[in-house]
Amino acid sequence: MNNPYLPVPMRIEKVVIENDARDLKTFDLAFVNESDWQNFKFLPGQFAFLSIPGAGEAPFGIASAPHEPLVKFTVKRVGVFTTALHELEPGATVGMRGPWGNFYPFELMQGKDVVIVSGGFSFTTLRATIAHLLLPENRKNYGRILAIYGARSPGELLYKEELKEWEKRSDLELVLCVDRLNGASWPQREGLVPNVLKAVAPKGENAIALVCGPPVMLRYTHPVLEELGFAPENVFLSLENRMKCGIGKCGHCNVGPKYVCKDGPVFSYAQLLKLPPEY
Amino acid sequence: MKHRLITRKQLNELLDRLAQEVCLYAPVRDKTGTSWAEIRRADEACLDEVNTVEPAKGFVFPRCEVLLRFDPQGNPVEPEPPPQQVVFGIRPCDARGIAFLVKFYTQEGRTDPYVRARREKTTLIGVACTRTAPTCFCLGVGGSPQGSEGLDLLLVELGEELLAEPVTEKGERLVADLPPAEEKHLTAAEEQRKKVEAEISLRIDTRKLQELLPGLYDTPLWQTLALTCVNCGACTFLCPTCHCFDVTDETVRGRTVRCRVWDSCQFALYSRHASGHNPRHDPASRYRNRIMDKFYYTVEQAGMVSCVGCGRCIISCPAGIDIRQTVGTVQNSKCKLKNEK
Ligand SMILES: Cc1cc2nc3c(=O)[nH]c(=O)nc-3n(C[C@H](O)[C@H](O)[C@H](O)COP(=O)(O)OP(=O)(O)OC[C@H]3O[C@@H](n4cnc5c(N)ncnc54)[C@H](O)[C@@H]3O)c2cc1C
Ligand code: FES
Repeated sequence: MNNPYLPVPMRIEKVVIENDARDLKTFDLAFVNESDWQNFKFLPGQFAFLSIPGAGEAPFGIASAPHEPLVKFTVKRVGVFTTALHELEPGATVGMRGPWGNFYPFELMQGKDVVIVSGGFSFTTLRATIAHLLLPENRKNYGRILAIYGARSPGELLYKEELKEWEKRSDLELVLCVDRLNGASWPQREGLVPNVLKAVAPKGENAIALVCGPPVMLRYTHPVLEELGFAPENVFLSLENRMKCGIGKCGHCNVGPKYVCKDGPVFSYAQLLKLPPEY
Repeated sequence: MKHRLITRKQLNELLDRLAQEVCLYAPVRDKTGTSWAEIRRADEACLDEVNTVEPAKGFVFPRCEVLLRFDPQGNPVEPEPPPQQVVFGIRPCDARGIAFLVKFYTQEGRTDPYVRARREKTTLIGVACTRTAPTCFCLGVGGSPQGSEGLDLLLVELGEELLAEPVTEKGERLVADLPPAEEKHLTAAEEQRKKVEAEISLRIDTRKLQELLPGLYDTPLWQTLALTCVNCGACTFLCPTCHCFDVTDETVRGRTVRCRVWDSCQFALYSRHASGHNPRHDPASRYRNRIMDKFYYTVEQAGMVSCVGCGRCIISCPAGIDIRQTVGTVQNSKCKLKNEK
């Protein structure tokens, strides 16, 4: 029987150091077995567990889009597993199990404007979302796509080369901001994500907002979205509770009666209003 | 399936035979009362206590279980399938606990292959309760001292004979050759049930609780109720339905295994994010989570209240917290809250 705890082997193809602090790395992984690749069907918003024998496993949002040939994860070094992963170089093998959880509401988004709001290194699954939406066969199904993405400083923005490419596109409005520019010439805006959102002021009518970031950012972003006319059922957030299994069994990730791993990680704000604030 | 009659002698013969064929587990006497152990002979089993110190959940969900082994190249290898086992002497409350675990772990969506395989390889022979402890309240949460839910075979002691009620095909096979029970045996069992049930007066209106609890998340009551709780987790480890686990890699002499071990929502690290943020950082919120989970969350998740009334959490709590009092206070709190407003 298909065992959800059994990781499949992935080969590290590429490692990119993302920030000046060197504690954020992006890993591009290729399936070792063709059949595992065939079985790996996902949509942006979903996550997977990476595994290293002896170091354990940990959940990470999938940062690549389904059409991209390699599976991408951007990982911050914070503890036992992430430190072990950061030590690996191209050619090494890691395990992966997933995809788990739900994804952003792509069907609901069809025919509407999409407003993406992200802060810090949780931009990962929203990067996947943008890459997915920009695919020509998908792009035509959506209205205006606006992405506001901020970090503490320019050096902390992920995927810098790609962002610079995306800034040139006409079918995506990308607004990059940092808390402090410290004299840097890129990106163009200084300011906190919620304030930048307020200034850019996208309309909430016929639009869906996807929000991902640290708890403080989420707290200050809600009121702005509300003011702009986004109804709670049109705002979607991705949660990151502690997880051990990813399949709704180990108990760790519960928010009231819901399991973030199984019922989420993507929840509408309307759903969250009905749940205890355990995230 | 027909009720049958089995004598003590026949039962001992059956157990002796099973001990030869498969792993046979039963409560055996030890310093603390009785605990689960493998037995070789029927007379090692001890049913003198109302119940074992530990629940029987470990037979489908062991305290520590190997999920994967890694070969020297680091490739994951699934462990050998579990062996056939027979568990004799399990009480109806603990059998209901196993029924819950199996339902929770194998319901729609992702099935846990380990719990499923263990339940398939396990035969559960229950023995009905002929008396209760002061902490027993199975009847109060929908169970019964003669309940058969979760079992393969239920035995009811009637002096030198026992009434055997097969619940599944597996149970039926064990007693198929025995004579059918007569009306008088069924009547005797029924009388015994009534007598034992009369010893339990507590009733919990689980429907009402389910309705109340979602609205009671923010009540200051939890602070009061959890005041003495030290978050030791004993209640959760001894609970027949608590299903939480941690996953960890252990390396011994160069060989790595990935195992899961019981964990408890009463611990602060349980819900702590890697960033240090903890959605349930204070002890009262963790106590609340346990009560909410038993009487509200699992009803939504698996359609079952996950308290079986075994009373172990009451016996083991070093702070003297009694779940019956908690539930009683919660049940009556709605009127208080309304009055406050
Ligand atoms: C759905 C989801 C998606 C995620 N996506 C991403 C992503 O895309 N990128 C990413 O980088 N992260 C992501 N995370 C977070 C990531 O899973 C964690 O950072 C990871 O699990 C950390 O594992 P670790 O073993 O390195 O840390 P751990 O060793 O578990 O340590 C984590 C933190 O806890 C502290 N700690 C550990 N043990 C103790 C102890 N006994 N006492 C006190 N403190 C202790 C450590 O010092 C550290 O700060 C995601 C999480 C979820 C749930
Ligand atoms: S991660 Fe185990 S229940 Fe969600």
